[in-house]
Amino acid sequence: MRGRRHANPRSTVSLSTRRRRAGYVFSLPGLVFLGLFLAYPLLYNVWTSLHAVRLQELLGGSSEFVGLDNYRTTVAEPDFWHAVRLSLVFTAGSLLFQFTIGFALALLFARPFPLGGLFRSLLLIAWLLPPVVSGTLFRWMLEPDSGAYNALLRAIGPDALGHDWLTDPGTALAGVIFANVWVGVPFNMLLLLVGLHTIDPELHEAAALDGANAWQRFRWITVPLMRPVSVTVLLLGLVYTFKVFDLVFVMTGGGPVDATSVLSVYVYEIFFKFFRFGEGAAAGLLLLLVPLLAGALYVRRLRGEGEAA
Amino acid sequence: MRRARRVRGWRARGWPLTAVAALITAVFLLPVYWMVNISLTRPDHILAESPRWFPAPATTRHYTTALSDDALPRALLNSVVISCGVVAVTLLLGVPLAYALARIRMRGSGTMVLALLVAQLPPSIVLAAPLFILERRAGLDDTYAGLIAADTTLTLPFAVIVLRPVLRGVPRELEEAALVDGCGPVGVVLRVVLPVMAPGVVAVAGLSFLIAWGEFVFGLTLASEPAVQPVTVLLNAFVGTHGTAWGALMATATLISVPVVCVFAVLQRFIVGGLAAGTVKG
Repeated sequence: MRGRRHANPRSTVSLSTRRRRAGYVFSLPGLVFLGLFLAYPLLYNVWTSLHAVRLQELLGGSSEFVGLDNYRTTVAEPDFWHAVRLSLVFTAGSLLFQFTIGFALALLFARPFPLGGLFRSLLLIAWLLPPVVSGTLFRWMLEPDSGAYNALLRAIGPDALGHDWLTDPGTALAGVIFANVWVGVPFNMLLLLVGLHTIDPELHEAAALDGANAWQRFRWITVPLMRPVSVTVLLLGLVYTFKVFDLVFVMTGGGPVDATSVLSVYVYEIFFKFFRFGEGAAAGLLLLLVPLLAGALYVRRLRGEGEAA
Repeated sequence: MRRARRVRGWRARGWPLTAVAALITAVFLLPVYWMVNISLTRPDHILAESPRWFPAPATTRHYTTALSDDALPRALLNSVVISCGVVAVTLLLGVPLAYALARIRMRGSGTMVLALLVAQLPPSIVLAAPLFILERRAGLDDTYAGLIAADTTLTLPFAVIVLRPVLRGVPRELEEAALVDGCGPVGVVLRVVLPVMAPGVVAVAGLSFLIAWGEFVFGLTLASEPAVQPVTVLLNAFVGTHGTAWGALMATATLISVPVVCVFAVLQRFIVGGLAAGTVKG
């Protein structure tokens, strides 16, 4: 409350106190809500993970404190590590292709051309569709007999290229990654496009005058200047991809056998199929580690940028 | 000579790039086209030897089949109720919270902003597990309220993060003038701030609707009654039970997608801006 010379001091004080009080009143409902439905459940999850909770305890009430037993059981489970490996492959594969294709599209759409905005918006539809819808679509597209992708593959190559991607344990994960890349490309493109627009076009013009060709300009101007945005986009992608559940669940349900049971699907099964609540809570908290780590890096970067600006 | 100049003009205006972009968009959106195509194709043509690229002659039979079962209209209605509820609760809680965090100096507001960023990290399934137990104890399982509350944990943190910078852009003088004129803090927000920040509010409302409309994990775990289950859960159940009835399945998928495309078409500019503001700029 600086620089209000004409108002008398007392009314200024009461005004700012009033404002501060209003601030607390304004934020209270939202904070209470988030406390009840977000913070408390997550803390309750920690409590559950330290107790032996199965269906009978849930209905009966009391449950025994077991310390870190649920964590020990989870970590000793080969299926858990299998799920961790699948999640890592799923995330790495998705990010690699999402980012590369998204970057290429961003480079295209960064140049002005007629109807560019329209096509850019149309591409975003892939990202906005509910994951359950996209999952259903790709189940159908990858269907062996009349799926359009298999028909295309058979049309351009030998018949053997047509394949039942999602029911073969060897290719199911690739099929799911393929669908997830489709969902993620527009999002990567949009954020990278925002980054590309912050590069001063005069840099490119000056380099072109000095005789740099398109590749050299890309390599020595675009790539280094896009590095901070790229790291941010990849970190966000890591958070979003690591927690994907719907798409995988709808496409394969984690199968065949458990060829696509990524960590989120694994947690779902322990908790909602086998009702091993204690272990499910423990596995869920372990699943939380990767997004938290990526989130910590992301927040540090945001703060760093804030201080630099 | 004249033709050469015309070609050069065509190139200079960037039409070759338009052609490239059109081709890429067409290939990329093939699954979406295919969904609509199949939903309009006659049943006996769907599982033909080679796929048909056009639904000729088109039929609306799959839509009437899908809608004649009571389950689909019911689930669509549930999704409308849940999504509108999420939008209302998100704005009701989010606008005042964002305003307080943007404009009023309070102890702990920096921590709150950080907490809101962190709140977006947990995978839905990690939250669904304890909510399943807690909502059951509170009698909120199988209710609209329980689902709306769960979905709002996804939209509220994000809404505040997007709205806070927007609110910072509202000129302070406007507010102070209103305060000096005897407007209370609530009056200031309603009469002065809200109209100026309308585009941001519209973006948040649109994105909250889209998030709630597409939400699946909470619908799957917190509701077991078809009377409240959202349409995403119904579609997933369809895939399991009518795995080969692709026509009705694609008609259902198309019906779910129509509101998404409509909301996006109307709010496109706001949503793209809000999205970029919420993620890259923090």
